[in-house]
Amino acid sequence: MSKESVSYGKRPRNPMIKRVWKDIWRDRRRYLLIFLMFVVTIGFVSGIFVANNSMSASLDSCKTRFKCEDGHFRLSEPADEETIAAIESGEMADVAEIFRERAYNEAEDEVIKVVDDAMAEEVDKQVRAAITEQTTAAVDQQLAAAAAKGQKFTDEQKKTALEEALDTAISENFDKAYDEALKQAKDSDEYTDALNEAFDKAHEEIDKEIDDKYAELSERYGLDEEIKAVPVTVYPLFYKDVNEGLAKDTDHSIGIRVYPERKDIDLFDILDGKAPENKNEIMIDRMHADNVGIKVGDTITVDKEEFEVCGLAAFVDYSTLYEKNTDTMFDAMTFNVAMTTDEGFERIHSNTRANYAFTFKEHPDDEYEEKSFSDDFMKALITQVAVSENEDIELEDYVPAYANQSINFAKNDLGTDMAMGGVMLYILTAVLAFIFAVTISTTLEKESSVIGTLRASGYTKGELLRYYMSAPLMIAVFAAIVGNILGYTFFKNVVVDMYYNSYSLPTYETLWTPYALIRTTIIPIVLMFIINLVVITKTLRLSPLRFLRHDLKKSRRKKAVRLPKWRFFPRFRIRVFLQNIPNYLMLFVGITFVMLLLSMAVGMRETLDYHQAHMSESMFAKHQIILSRTEDDDGNTITTSAKNAERISVSSLERKSDTYNEEVSVYGVEDNSLYIKLDADFAEKADKDEVYISQAYADKYNVNVGDTIVLSEKYENKDYTWKVYDIYDYTAGIAVFMTNEKFNEIFDNDKDDFSGYICNEPITDIDEEYIAAEITEDDLLKVARQLDHSMGAYMVYFQYVCMIVAALILYLLTKIIIEKNERAISMTKVLGYSDSEIASLYLIPTAIFVFFTEFISIYLGYVLMTLFWKSMMLGMSGWFEFTMPVSGFVKEFLLVFIAYLLITVIDFFRIRKIPKVLALKNNE
Amino acid sequence: MSEKEVKFLEVCGLKKSFGSGDTKQDVLKGLDFTVAKGEFCVLLGPSGSGKSTLLNILGGIDSADSGEIFINGDKLADMNEKSLTRYRRKHLGYVFQMYNLIPNLNVKENIETGAYLSDAPLDIDELLKILGLYEHRHKLPNQLSGGQQQRVSIGRAIVKNPDILLCDEPTGALDYNTSKEILKLIEDVNVKYGNTIVMVTHNEAIKEMADHVIKLRDGKIRHDIINTKKIAAADLEW
Repeated sequence: MSKESVSYGKRPRNPMIKRVWKDIWRDRRRYLLIFLMFVVTIGFVSGIFVANNSMSASLDSCKTRFKCEDGHFRLSEPADEETIAAIESGEMADVAEIFRERAYNEAEDEVIKVVDDAMAEEVDKQVRAAITEQTTAAVDQQLAAAAAKGQKFTDEQKKTALEEALDTAISENFDKAYDEALKQAKDSDEYTDALNEAFDKAHEEIDKEIDDKYAELSERYGLDEEIKAVPVTVYPLFYKDVNEGLAKDTDHSIGIRVYPERKDIDLFDILDGKAPENKNEIMIDRMHADNVGIKVGDTITVDKEEFEVCGLAAFVDYSTLYEKNTDTMFDAMTFNVAMTTDEGFERIHSNTRANYAFTFKEHPDDEYEEKSFSDDFMKALITQVAVSENEDIELEDYVPAYANQSINFAKNDLGTDMAMGGVMLYILTAVLAFIFAVTISTTLEKESSVIGTLRASGYTKGELLRYYMSAPLMIAVFAAIVGNILGYTFFKNVVVDMYYNSYSLPTYETLWTPYALIRTTIIPIVLMFIINLVVITKTLRLSPLRFLRHDLKKSRRKKAVRLPKWRFFPRFRIRVFLQNIPNYLMLFVGITFVMLLLSMAVGMRETLDYHQAHMSESMFAKHQIILSRTEDDDGNTITTSAKNAERISVSSLERKSDTYNEEVSVYGVEDNSLYIKLDADFAEKADKDEVYISQAYADKYNVNVGDTIVLSEKYENKDYTWKVYDIYDYTAGIAVFMTNEKFNEIFDNDKDDFSGYICNEPITDIDEEYIAAEITEDDLLKVARQLDHSMGAYMVYFQYVCMIVAALILYLLTKIIIEKNERAISMTKVLGYSDSEIASLYLIPTAIFVFFTEFISIYLGYVLMTLFWKSMMLGMSGWFEFTMPVSGFVKEFLLVFIAYLLITVIDFFRIRKIPKVLALKNNE
Repeated sequence: MSEKEVKFLEVCGLKKSFGSGDTKQDVLKGLDFTVAKGEFCVLLGPSGSGKSTLLNILGGIDSADSGEIFINGDKLADMNEKSLTRYRRKHLGYVFQMYNLIPNLNVKENIETGAYLSDAPLDIDELLKILGLYEHRHKLPNQLSGGQQQRVSIGRAIVKNPDILLCDEPTGALDYNTSKEILKLIEDVNVKYGNTIVMVTHNEAIKEMADHVIKLRDGKIRHDIINTKKIAAADLEW
């Protein structure tokens, strides 16, 4: 053979590219599991983000699209046009002046009448006296003349003559004389003086009365402050609150609020059917319909009248079905909102509630301005209603949109889910990163001799790096694409269905959500890229020779560990354990991840249950009443005779941060309170700016005694800076405590001001009209219930996800341990050990390890979960500690151990399947 | 043959030791030899004589403590890791006792992993025929016998037509007949493609087929012989 006969071919395409696909196929089970985990994680979290963003944007856009009110108010009866026009001006009426003018006008006629009557009486008296005098003189003269002529008259005759003469004189002259006299008197200065004097006296009385009355009103509503006129457009939005009955049953405990046709304000999104077109049709809230099982075409009774349900809608001002804004929780089961035609509305025989919606003519720029507009408008409204011509009209309710739970609750709740989704994503991304790191380092170890040969043949590190990164990255990218597609389709729908289960939401448009892509896709892929890059680069740094010798460990064990003289099997197992320490460490980390996930799945449920069960223990007192005002109509301070009732002051401020503004309750407490036990010498010892904070506040925000806290008014640019005097053991809420005196000083209240009463006895002697709210156990449970409500459905899904992830991690990690020992296992088979002996040699060390690891992992998972819980609670209102009862730990332990035992069965079959020839074969 | 061709591979004062202090073990204690271009050189010696270490240093996957190696005039010690990789890529072919084939690539694809490294690789189909693997080209390594797998391994090393083919006990894991087949194949390759071959073996019989035999013991060259009476691989007996 000579060299000339050599024929050359073309340089082929990189065969390693072909191999990437073959690698994926060869490790299809592992890659499929990783792919599925990625898809489920990315899909679910992306679904949460997309649904959240889309729904949130839809709620925002609906406010404009469906002309959401800026607020509403209810009057005791419909207002006349003049009053409405005055209200729309947004200007405050000068109540005192108008009342004064009206009173003066009313008083004027009365005063004149009184003065005139007095004068008429006087003139009457004087004219009669004058006539009598004149007539008597004339009669006396005539009698004297007759006597001179010798006529004799008896006294009787004289008296009769005088009487006759008087009668004649009065009947002939009185009226004329009286009129003349009266005219003269009225023209006199005396009359004017008398009249003026009477007027002054009357005005004085009126002024006093009005000043007293206005002072009270002014103080209660701050009417003496200057306001900016806030012109609004007012829309009648009358309704009738009646009972709803389902045709099929007789339960009439459901309340339905029926509106006539809405045309200009607070419109609706029809999700099914159509708007009512005749007097027999009614359109009701979609969510209530779903909850009680009403469908389009069904007949319902509304105040005994039958209506056919023609449509199901979401009303823009009722995304959450709160019957009253002061209700602590909404209930879509027992409350419904509906719309009929105007004729249909007439069919319902119930009193119409004179409700009006309004919109600001000039749109507020931000929530501060909105609050300021709303406050100013409220003053204008109160005064304009007060000065209405119709004196019977009263303002019954005023709810600005920013404070309207029905409008805002759903939107705020969506934020909670985002926080939850974020936590899930962090945990699962960490799990995925870990699995990838383990997978890639195992692959490199397995491929050691191939890598050594390729490197020795001249393959560069870069070529091998690109090759080994290809498969995991391809899987990750492909999973991300599928995950996102599922996120935007299937999972989004799952999440949206949960939202529709809770809230009356409008139709929405799926929005392109860049941060969902970044957080659920770009970040995990980049993370994967970095982990793979670091692990592979670090390993490839080793010389080809070390790869050829399978010598990839940093430090090599120089000497074998000497073991005690135990029997052979236990020693063998210890050797198995010692040889696989790195793998067991991986298993340890994996189990800790599983425990972290289980802590979340098991612990959240337990925490909510625990919190709900123990809430009553963390209340200050069994009964807490917040008064709408502290003086009754007669100006007396409202008191209670309930035993040991104490005054309490309550205010609400905000702890502002970039991520979340937390509402903080500020309490003013009586000295030596029986219910909130501050130090007896707190009032004397503490500095002016020192306050107590609740344990929950301290825990949530890591605040210690001596730290400074800054709280702000929610809608005003006013901050309060306080120092923490001590921490009060109260875990049910984020709160600040101080003495009532300090409270009133800080908030510029009167010295004796207070907000309500707390007491262990029921407070029954305060008229309901003065009670603004009664804080019950239910209020404190709100956070827990809100979490339960919005996450209850998540928990089910999340538990599935947790279980899948747990099983996958155990499967992947024990698979690695078995695979690494395949040749040794094969060799023991060759030596004549039975499958069960081999299983006991290789599986028992793992079982013992898993058993003990579980205890440590449960603790670590709990600690980590506590941290995650904290980060999640920071994104939402309130605080309660992550709690896990012993039964929860046992549950976690059993779940993982049972999962491990199942995996052990699979492992046993894996061991059985390992062929004997493997030990004798080449690596290939 | 020019002097450059005569000293195609030149080793001067090569030393290598492992460990340090009391455990220090000198594996190569100053080696000097040359190998001519196209020569079939056998490094012979018992276990622990340092022959594999020497081969690894020649292949640039291990480094010497001192001494110099020139290949075609290029000094190996001057090369950084990148240049060494390039040098291996362009000039060297490696055959190991364990075949280290890529398990999920078929025969042809395994050979392509070598061809990819060369700008002018040999024609793969023709090579497969020479290797006697053409019929098996679509099989995976685990479907082949040990001898066949070693053929693939040789094919992978030779396909890029390297200047030097380094073989580390290529017959170490093979039976007598298969070993002879493999040795014949290496011989054929040497003749057909004219590559310089350096083969490490402990099998004394193989020296008979070599152009040049270097015997090592205790890290030193005991004999450096040019074999003028070489016989064909097929005629070897042991």
